Amino acid sequence: MESIKNRKARQLSILVLIFVAIVVVSLYSISVGSINISIPDILSILSGKAVADDTFGPIIMNIRLPRTLATIMGGACLALSGLLLQIFFKNPIVEPYILGVSSGATLFVGLVLLGGFSFGLKSLPPMGLFGGAFLGAMLVMVVVVFASQKVKNITTLLIIGMMAGFICNAFTSILTAFADKEQLHGFVMWSMGSFSGFSWPQVQFLYGIGCPMIILAFVLSKPLNAMLFGENYAISMGLSMKKFRVVVILIASVLTATITAFAGPISFVGLAVPHMVRITMGTSDNRILIPGVILAGALMTGVCDLCARMILSPIELPLGVITALIGAPIVVYLLVHKTKGNEL
Amino acid sequence: MKPVIFTENLNVGYDKKVVVEQVNICANRGELICLLGPNGSGKSTILRTLTGLQPPVTGRVEINGMDIATIKKAELAKKMAIVLTEQVSLGLLTVFEIATMGRYPHTNFLGKLSKEDESIVEEALDLVDAGNLRNRYYFELSDGEKQKVMIARALVQEPELIVLDEPTSHLDVRHKVEVVSILRKLCLEKGITVVLSLHDIDIAIKGCQKILLIEKGKVKAQGTPEEIIKTGTIQNLYSIEGANYNELLGCLEFCSPVVPEVFITGGNGTGTGVYRAVSRAGFGMCCGVLHSNDIDLHVARALNCDIIEEDSFSRISEKHYQAATAKMAKMHYVIDTGFPVGKTNQHNLDLIIEAIKMGKTVFSLSEQSELSNRFGEWSEKIRCCKNPAEILQSIPNKTEIRC
Repeated sequence: MESIKNRKARQLSILVLIFVAIVVVSLYSISVGSINISIPDILSILSGKAVADDTFGPIIMNIRLPRTLATIMGGACLALSGLLLQIFFKNPIVEPYILGVSSGATLFVGLVLLGGFSFGLKSLPPMGLFGGAFLGAMLVMVVVVFASQKVKNITTLLIIGMMAGFICNAFTSILTAFADKEQLHGFVMWSMGSFSGFSWPQVQFLYGIGCPMIILAFVLSKPLNAMLFGENYAISMGLSMKKFRVVVILIASVLTATITAFAGPISFVGLAVPHMVRITMGTSDNRILIPGVILAGALMTGVCDLCARMILSPIELPLGVITALIGAPIVVYLLVHKTKGNEL
Repeated sequence: MKPVIFTENLNVGYDKKVVVEQVNICANRGELICLLGPNGSGKSTILRTLTGLQPPVTGRVEINGMDIATIKKAELAKKMAIVLTEQVSLGLLTVFEIATMGRYPHTNFLGKLSKEDESIVEEALDLVDAGNLRNRYYFELSDGEKQKVMIARALVQEPELIVLDEPTSHLDVRHKVEVVSILRKLCLEKGITVVLSLHDIDIAIKGCQKILLIEKGKVKAQGTPEEIIKTGTIQNLYSIEGANYNELLGCLEFCSPVVPEVFITGGNGTGTGVYRAVSRAGFGMCCGVLHSNDIDLHVARALNCDIIEEDSFSRISEKHYQAATAKMAKMHYVIDTGFPVGKTNQHNLDLIIEAIKMGKTVFSLSEQSELSNRFGEWSEKIRCCKNPAEILQSIPNKTEIRC
């Protein structure tokens, strides 16, 4: 049995290690691609100095850097959202999309891509896509938040979210049935997720929503810890359940909705990362898990995005494929090898 | 001084449906109050209402004279803590971290602990004798240890009142006793009021100051254990069939078959083990002559034996002796339990000799060397056995007799 001091030291060093890994992966991710750019060149460009080849600057600043930054924040948000929901529903296989948020987004993206709706943004196809996805995700979220105030049982809420998802999926299926092949391909690729093509305004928007939500989640770490004991204990310790419910669902849904709107549904990060962090950190204490999950989510998504670009380059694989291929075996390995006490 | 927790004409239940009606509880500082009743009698519903987890159907719950519905949850948490039966999955939290959560209502929004907070946690862990577990993960603990840790967590809230739902279920005897001892210590030394539900009869009778008997949606009786536990109370409360509960001894005995086939003496506790062994083997028995103040008599009665009873401290009367002889005449086997002989029970030795004269098979659990002192020349016809099992081997088992 390790002492508390050792355990804390180990947890801290894991956090630092993940952070360093994120920096390394990000730099590598910026450096490789159709044109390889050396790390010193990247550092000079980032610090504003001129380099020999003046095409490098725009490639990094307009394409690769926004994408990398979006990947980091996207992964962090998804993983955090997964952690919040797993604790809230006291269920280890809950993930950010369980509440139907992504299905709502998918339906509305389907309306844009397949049905030709533009939501009043005719001239801006990328923003139209985003607008549709965001609107769809938010609509489902509003339904769920509203339901969360009405129903007493948390499991019922979970089921309402899932059913909302099913209904959206059904309508999406109707759309696909009538869609033509070309459009369908685009839609299917979108629905597997990708961080490609992020622009600076999108990155700003992502960080503008992500950062406050992350801070809010930190503030919630104490009630989240109480929630580990179950609803009854949490109330008996003085937690106001009504407020807590709305805030948790709001944070999780807004984060998921934003990511889904920009990058499509990216499976598995929200499910796998909380488990990985819990087991490697050896704690259920959310004051440690929240930073851990944010960093690990960013790292995992960064690595997966890199793989998606590299493996069959120049063809880019959908991100969801990689996250599932990498995430699932890791979760199974961790659960099998550390069998006890890993419920939540 | 106002009672710590007080209810009057409280009806508890779900929505409009009343589960238990007319609950009147008044607990003062440092009292240990127990709700005793079978599973499904509504104990948990009462406790959920007392803790404010569900609203009463009618009536109200007062904590220190204030209606619980008007107290803010965060304030209530400083007055009352709970320990529930539900399993919690706290896998990767350490015992210390779990106990620390009890500071929830006292710490700031990040849950930062002051030196004082930490010493309160340490003290609570020591009080429940779990200080040595402080760095262990929750999943590594046994059920008993888990329960102690949850009590420590409740204590850390520094409440005036702790409400526990079935704190001793699925614990072994040692931990049952330990948990109740801890709760009593809290009442007596810290002046904390404890309300708990139990289905352990013994522990309720012996460990609690007040008992409320809950049965079929009603509070059947309430008061001190001595006031409410009378012969038959527990039997009726739990509708026990096929076994008898002896309130005086606090023990449960399975009923033996009704038709007696073995006559057994007894006295001074020598019969208890024999009766149980013979009953387990499936034989009915007739026991006598036993004095009213003998423990053997109470066990025999709980076992549903046919008993010939004599008044306490009196010599066995001729009338009872004759009654015993008459009953013995119908039996195949007679057992002498090796009871100590004194002035009042001399006649029981005569009974054994009478049995030999009747030609019964007589077993004795006395020492071989003692036999001639007890029965003189008759001792040669008695089969001396070391223990009841040896006797039962010599008796053809039930099915063979029947055939």
